Amino acid sequence: MIKAPCILNDVTRCIGCEECVAACKKINGLPQEDPPPRVGHSSDGLSATRWTSIVRRPGGVSVRKQCRHCLEPACVSVCPVGALQKTPEGPVIYDKSICMGCRYCMMACPYGIPHYQWNTVNPSIRKCILCYHKLKSGEIDTPACVTACPKEATTFGSRDEMLAEARRRLKAEPKKYIQHIWGEHEVGGTSVLYISNVDLGFLAWQDPKFLGTTALPGRTWSALRKVPYEFIGMAASMTAVWWIIDRRMRLEREGGDEPPAASEGGSDGGDEQ
Amino acid sequence: MTRRVRITKGILWLITGLAAAVTIIRFTRGLGTVTALSDTTPWGLWVGFDVMGGVALAAGGFVIGAIAHVFHRERYHHAVRPAILTALLGYAAVAVGLVYDLGLPWHIWHPIIFWNPHSPLFEVAWCVMTYLTILFLEFLPVFLERTRFQGLYRTLLRLQLPLIILGISVSTLHQSSLGTLLLIMPFRLHPLWYTPNLPELFFVSAICLGLVMVIFESSVTAWLYEREPRTRMLSGLAGFAAGGLAFYFAFRMLDLWHRGKLGLAFAGTFEANLFWFEMGLSTIVPLLLFLIPKVRRSHTGVFIASSLGVIGFLLNRVDASGLAQVWATRTHYFPMWTEFVISLGIVSLFALIYLFIQEHFPVEKEILDEEEKWRQRQLFVLPRFERLSEVWLGNEAFASRRVYSAAFVVALVLGLTLAPWQPLVEASPVERARGGDTLRVGFPIGTVSFPHADHVKRLGKKNCGICHHLHKPGDVGTPCSECHRDMYLPTRIFHHERHVAFLGGNEACGRCHPKGEPKAATAKKCSECHQKDMMAKNEVVTKFERPTAPGLRVAAHGICIHCHKQQAKDPRWKKPDLFRCATCHRTPVPQGEAVLEASLKSEG
Repeated sequence: MIKAPCILNDVTRCIGCEECVAACKKINGLPQEDPPPRVGHSSDGLSATRWTSIVRRPGGVSVRKQCRHCLEPACVSVCPVGALQKTPEGPVIYDKSICMGCRYCMMACPYGIPHYQWNTVNPSIRKCILCYHKLKSGEIDTPACVTACPKEATTFGSRDEMLAEARRRLKAEPKKYIQHIWGEHEVGGTSVLYISNVDLGFLAWQDPKFLGTTALPGRTWSALRKVPYEFIGMAASMTAVWWIIDRRMRLEREGGDEPPAASEGGSDGGDEQ
Repeated sequence: MTRRVRITKGILWLITGLAAAVTIIRFTRGLGTVTALSDTTPWGLWVGFDVMGGVALAAGGFVIGAIAHVFHRERYHHAVRPAILTALLGYAAVAVGLVYDLGLPWHIWHPIIFWNPHSPLFEVAWCVMTYLTILFLEFLPVFLERTRFQGLYRTLLRLQLPLIILGISVSTLHQSSLGTLLLIMPFRLHPLWYTPNLPELFFVSAICLGLVMVIFESSVTAWLYEREPRTRMLSGLAGFAAGGLAFYFAFRMLDLWHRGKLGLAFAGTFEANLFWFEMGLSTIVPLLLFLIPKVRRSHTGVFIASSLGVIGFLLNRVDASGLAQVWATRTHYFPMWTEFVISLGIVSLFALIYLFIQEHFPVEKEILDEEEKWRQRQLFVLPRFERLSEVWLGNEAFASRRVYSAAFVVALVLGLTLAPWQPLVEASPVERARGGDTLRVGFPIGTVSFPHADHVKRLGKKNCGICHHLHKPGDVGTPCSECHRDMYLPTRIFHHERHVAFLGGNEACGRCHPKGEPKAATAKKCSECHQKDMMAKNEVVTKFERPTAPGLRVAAHGICIHCHKQQAKDPRWKKPDLFRCATCHRTPVPQGEAVLEASLKSEG
């Protein structure tokens, strides 16, 4: 299996035939007919039985949506038990035997990719795994969706190759494309890239343009890495406060010396902590 | 036992019974049946209220522990045991709530062996487990006080202070980590709530909520057991709460101002209103009330102020984990009644346990002594029917227990009858029309009743083609959904999967595609096989101009409105009603999302 596998979607080439959807369903053993959607289902067509979908946009534009396999995935960083894993090669995969079903990954994903099997008592998270197991075993060379595409609107290769290819196309036909590669820097970079003639900000809950290009896991980690110090600091300061007040009260009770100077620790102002 | 306690317990048992019914459905039919959760709103009431709110509600345990033991405020020692009991039961309730909310609750112990220290939820899980143990050890002396295990009792009392300090430290961590939890969602959470200071804000608000909760709970127990409230202690706590609330208010406003988002609070949007409603309930009104010395000293005053505070801070947790994300997901999640029943049922169950422990163990000595006296008066006698006066005679405790059982059983049966057994789905857009009946389109939301038989009668069977406009002009049995597979999105008319299945898998590719060219462009034309189906007998559609069928909504509008418009205008008919949306749409259609609207526009 190649290192850092990556998919490049060229929106201008996509005709919206949904062959990729059919191929994805077939290789992953998903039912061909989607069950009736729940109230409040996502409008992009993705569901627990449809891991890639075509989003129709004004002007006959078709945009394929699927898991981005982020370089620093938010879903992997928030999973409390590590049921979602970023493989050394790159795809983000899921292990049901570990999952608790907390659905934090679904909340954390900026693109709304993980979906849930709501109508069963034994549910799993379902999402594109970039055909990881079949690619790894050598059964196939390219993900099923890429193989199925009749227009080469979606192509597969290593991330560097795909970035180079995207730049080549942007340069070759500068008028046709918006000069931007979606996924190069968004949320720290993703393994599914897009080039397009329309703006693709709609693919995320909010346009990533306004939220910068830093990876999401850094936002929680900056708070989490302080945890050990907070614990020790809190325990130490509480013990200190107790000791100071206790000593002062003991001295007062003995009625001997004047209370020591550090007596403010027990004043009313300290009730915040 | 007072009358108030008995009535309250009866109500609590009633709710618990309802919840028991929903519990059965939850664990036999899955989350989808009893919740309105969906892929766009995977966290709902149970996370917002039971977990986020529950943990914050239980913060009273560590706050009072700190005030009474660490800061040596002896006056508040009375509040320590009830506060720790609330915390212990509160965290147990959080764990129970999680069992309901987790998709795979039998894996709830997994964080013990599967570690991911990068996850805020992992940190919370560990802290909650640790703190539950600490709280149990803190509270164990109450169970042991009047038993023969005096050695263990004294050892635990000696450990009280280290345990309390450990509890404070662990609480600091997970109360703030619940804020960290939301830091990963800048894409979902509205900027009025999203701030890098969420952990600190959550910690401060947990302290405030802990304080108002202790006040609330103390005044409620006093009312229930008809005791004099400890006004002096309560007004002191109210003073602390006022300090905390003022600090929280200043912190939140400064944070907004510093991030330059203060303007959003005055933008008049749903979020801005929600923000002020939340701040008013949780902070501004209780703070103003607590600042008035007369209110602080009155039982009713502190009760009202503290209950507002409790509701307000719970709303804060619900906002942050759900309501303040609607602007991003644009879906309108409203909990099903079964979700409310489970949330209230867990609270009721643990309130009953709370009352039981209050009545049987020395949490607040006055309540226990009163109950013991009462119990000594009541010998256990089986009830018997007194024929002369035609009443049942027996002891009061037994009689009330019968009422509780009856309430529970009645509620259980009622719940099982009312509760849904099928998941909430946006069911297949169209129901098949069987002869003379009425089609229901878009059930259950935006239901449109289409009087099929009526149309057949008026237009005559020969004119099926006016509406059934596709490749099957004579066919009346095909559901619209066969081609319009999605209610909202356009779908491709050509159903590749179905052709593959029908013609026999990969073997049959050659029947449509030239060898080695599995592309749509070079495949056989539809008419080469389906000439008979595509006969152009009707005038409406004779050829395929687009490879995709519009979504059902667009298609239906296109066909129906076109015809209705003409009928409405026709002077012979004079029926303007025909062209009113409400003529067909009896219930409002849910708000469309941007993508849908765009696709509709593109359809024209």
